[in-house]
Amino acid sequence: MMHFLLLFSRQGKLRLQKWFLPLPERDRKKIVKDMTTMVLARKPRTCNFMHWKDLKIVYKRYASLYFCCGLENQDNELLALEILHRYVELLDKYFGNVCELDIIFNFEKAYFILDEFLMGGEIQETSKQSIAKSIEASDMLQETMEEYMSKPAF
Amino acid sequence: MPAVSKGDGMRGLAVFISDIRNCKSKEAEIKRINKELANIRSKFKGDKALDGYSKKKYVCKLLFIFLLGHDIDFGHMEAVNLLSSNKYTEKQIGYLFISVLVNSNSELIRLINNAIKNDLSSRNPTFMCLALHCIANVGSREMAEAFAGEIPRILVAGDTMDSVKQSAALCLLRLYKTSPDLVLMGEWTSRVVHLLNDQHMGVVTAAISLITCLSQKNPDEFKTCVSLAVSRLSRIVSSASTDLQDYTYYFVPAPWLSCKLLRLLQCYPPPEDGAVKGRLVECLETILNKAQEPPKSKKVQHSNAKNAILFEAISLIIHYDSEPNLLVRACNQLGQFLQHRETNLRYLALESMCTLASSEFSHEAVKTHIETVINALKTERDVSVRQRAADLLYAMCDRSNAKQIVAEMLSYLETADYSIREEMVLKVAILAEKYAVDYSWYVDTILNLIRIAGDYVSEEVWYRVIQIVINRDDVQGYAAKTVFEALQAPACHENMVKVGGYILGEFGNLIAGDPRSSPLVQFNLLHSKFHLCSVPTRALLLSAYIKFINLFPETKSTIQEVLRSDSQIRNSDVELQQRAVEYLKLSSIASTDVLATVLEEMPPFPERESSILAKLKKKKGPGAVSVNELEEGKREGGELNGGGGERGGDNSTIAASNASTPSPSADLLGLRTGPQVSAAPPSAGSLLVDVFSEAGVNDDGFLSSAPPSAVSEDAAPPLPESNELLNKFVCKNNGVLFENQLLQIGIKSEYRQNLGRMYLFYGNKTSVQFVTFTTTVSCPGELHPQLNVQAKPVEPLIEGGAQVQQVINIECLGDFCEAPLLNIKFRYGGALQNLSLKLPVTINKFFQPTEMASHDFFQRWKQLSQPQQEAQKIFKASHAMDTEVIKAKLLGLGMALLENVDPNPENFVCAGVIQTKAQQVGSLLRLEPNAQAQMYRLTLRSSKDTVSKRLCELLAEQF
Repeated sequence: MMHFLLLFSRQGKLRLQKWFLPLPERDRKKIVKDMTTMVLARKPRTCNFMHWKDLKIVYKRYASLYFCCGLENQDNELLALEILHRYVELLDKYFGNVCELDIIFNFEKAYFILDEFLMGGEIQETSKQSIAKSIEASDMLQETMEEYMSKPAF
Repeated sequence: MPAVSKGDGMRGLAVFISDIRNCKSKEAEIKRINKELANIRSKFKGDKALDGYSKKKYVCKLLFIFLLGHDIDFGHMEAVNLLSSNKYTEKQIGYLFISVLVNSNSELIRLINNAIKNDLSSRNPTFMCLALHCIANVGSREMAEAFAGEIPRILVAGDTMDSVKQSAALCLLRLYKTSPDLVLMGEWTSRVVHLLNDQHMGVVTAAISLITCLSQKNPDEFKTCVSLAVSRLSRIVSSASTDLQDYTYYFVPAPWLSCKLLRLLQCYPPPEDGAVKGRLVECLETILNKAQEPPKSKKVQHSNAKNAILFEAISLIIHYDSEPNLLVRACNQLGQFLQHRETNLRYLALESMCTLASSEFSHEAVKTHIETVINALKTERDVSVRQRAADLLYAMCDRSNAKQIVAEMLSYLETADYSIREEMVLKVAILAEKYAVDYSWYVDTILNLIRIAGDYVSEEVWYRVIQIVINRDDVQGYAAKTVFEALQAPACHENMVKVGGYILGEFGNLIAGDPRSSPLVQFNLLHSKFHLCSVPTRALLLSAYIKFINLFPETKSTIQEVLRSDSQIRNSDVELQQRAVEYLKLSSIASTDVLATVLEEMPPFPERESSILAKLKKKKGPGAVSVNELEEGKREGGELNGGGGERGGDNSTIAASNASTPSPSADLLGLRTGPQVSAAPPSAGSLLVDVFSEAGVNDDGFLSSAPPSAVSEDAAPPLPESNELLNKFVCKNNGVLFENQLLQIGIKSEYRQNLGRMYLFYGNKTSVQFVTFTTTVSCPGELHPQLNVQAKPVEPLIEGGAQVQQVINIECLGDFCEAPLLNIKFRYGGALQNLSLKLPVTINKFFQPTEMASHDFFQRWKQLSQPQQEAQKIFKASHAMDTEVIKAKLLGLGMALLENVDPNPENFVCAGVIQTKAQQVGSLLRLEPNAQAQMYRLTLRSSKDTVSKRLCELLAEQF
């Protein structure tokens, strides 16, 4: 199972963190720090896998964002790369040509999309269509437009 | 700011996020956040009831602030309120907040569980999924207690929607991992297994993770899954790339499900049913065949998905380890990947081949790739790939190629990345030992290892070479000759001096016939290194010298002169001083016979598991070294060299030193076996701790501390001089802590990271027994949560003239200022003695020295420029201002003494990091002596104000 998924920028700014195991805040911060320093220090065209403690680390860069996850020993690295890719595709499909700013400003959506795809660090659904359909359905459940427009901004 | 593309945007949130992004500095960001927090707090506290939308918006802002890395201590209640909203988006945000900021507040958990319960029974699939996600995200024991019974029912119910089934399966898996005792599958087992046949691929994909985990734990109950998994796999493997519609990923049919199926099968042995097995072998062959077909797409996603299945199939083939044909095909396939242009594939092929190398069917096939792997070790640009290549060389090594592989690894070591050197050294040492046919090769290899990578040669490695040389007399002469030659090098590593000292001390006589290596030449060679070595090595050399006196009587007078010199016999280190005194005495009073008996050649070491292998296992974590390999290691170790014990290295085990206190290096050995430093047996007449008297406690000083008159059973208050006693030990770890006319307390301590171990030696100076001798160690007041001190029980009876030892383990949890109290009570001639002292545990004991260049030092110095981070004292010198003494004290403090950093050479600067369990506190020190005024100015800067202050106080008393 996947232990965590982190999205961070070229500058090491964390954009999204998903923890599939309960960890104390201190350990999380340590992992984030280790991951950003390790991954950002990698030279271009090196392989996408590393060992870190007893975890396998798989990462990939998409434009300005690094997607990085920690796996258990028996997990498949190549497939993890494709999990990252499929998540990017899902974000792309939802936001339309997704960029880092979309994830910053709509972080809650990025979490919701991830929740449709992974749960407890395991794959829940791989079909792009099914996931898109459930996201669509939940968006349909929002308040009516009138309700929305009448809300104060602050 | 981008327009919110879809969904219901929260304008206030977007504005806030954009404000944060526009903040120019960290301070501005914190200011903006505090303003927002105050705003939200007032809204939540206000009289006006908030509508759902506002509540959602504010909860979402709090979540954002938390994810930026700030603490959030309110808003949980509002989030819980959102859970019971009818509006989906509000509920969703409520659940997200709860999932991210779990709170163990039991009151809230009850409310959350109630909301979840309502949603689970709502029959609204969207709400049910939200609730299941929340359970999986929090995954706490309380939640398992509340829902572990309900979820299996949802999972197998006929009318549950597919999407809910998927969530239920993974939610149950999460709970099973948290609290396996609460998840009882029993009656559901067969229906869960049959989810493998579900029509919906998504359901199968989710369910198989659950089934795999359950099968690992209860293989028998779930074994029916094997045939179901094989038939499902077979259907996928034989399907055309379009059959599975959206479950085909870049022309690869259901890669995730395929891999999961192959992984599930690895929980079981090969199927017994011939038909099932045949079908499975067919699947595996098809997968191997597909690897040879031209790719259906040039996209990397296609090849990744396809190869993911291939690697998983190979793992299964290796797991079965019963189909030679498939094993060899797998090996050939991996061999192709070894030269693939994709770095990822080369990496995985090396990794996968490592496991293949341990199979008897494929070991030979793996060996044919040796040249490619060696080439990878030399030419790969990526260190992680080189590391895998080194692992594979280690795995494929056997007697036929050991010399080649060890030579390649040695030459790689010269340029290897620092991060992997220590592991490489261990591997070379293990291979050299395991496959040594002639032991001169082994000795050469280890000495080369020390020469090339001496800093990375851990103690286990050089202990081991000594154990082997001691146990095999055919190699002793060669070892003595080689080590003698190696020591001729003008600069040789300290580890080489250790090995040299030990071996020449034992077997120097074997080469003494040659005038070029006559006894005196050997001695002079060793002694020329003496002054450059650390204390433990010097101690070892002193033992080698006394052995020389026995081996070569003609060196006696030269060596006695060395022992007698002030730098030995008055050495400030107690261990060295003690050895010098005892060896000198031993050599002058003992007859030749006695000397020969006491200093006899070391007996062979008892056979045990190689300590190096144990070290490698520890380093790589359990499972890194296969059981197979361990057993082999043991077997070969036994047969070839008579093995070696865990004792090694230090000659302090010679009989002569049985009257000495345990040496520091013996303690290091003890790390593997636990603290087993035996208390020194009481020797007749003199007190053992007498040798500590360098500590400056003069014998008549006891008048200053009147005999304790307190007769109360309560612990006495600390002695008035205990602060002074404490200060004596700031810069040193060993010495006499306390002495009066009854009792002497000696102390030895060692620290490592945030842990410390202290040995207290209680000596009875009288000729009368001490009875009901008890000691208690306590951490008064604030110290309690900062320091964890555990004292081992001590003997309740101390005979007249005898000594007992007590071990105290110390763990530093946080930084601290006070010292723990030691209370001692005993009866002497019927009168109760009761005294309390401060144990010399000060915050500086947990320093790790940090070396840094001048530039870095001043940069850090500037970073720590807030006024409270600095502590400064100007004080009069209370001792002579001798540079060497000051240096020695600063080193004793535990920091690194940095040379050429301060522009003024008279000044001293140091750097170190205090290791506590809770945090690390970096500290910098600058000491400016003014010889004319006989004054010092001491400045400390640390990331924590209390630390600067405390260190400054402690140190100001030292100079």
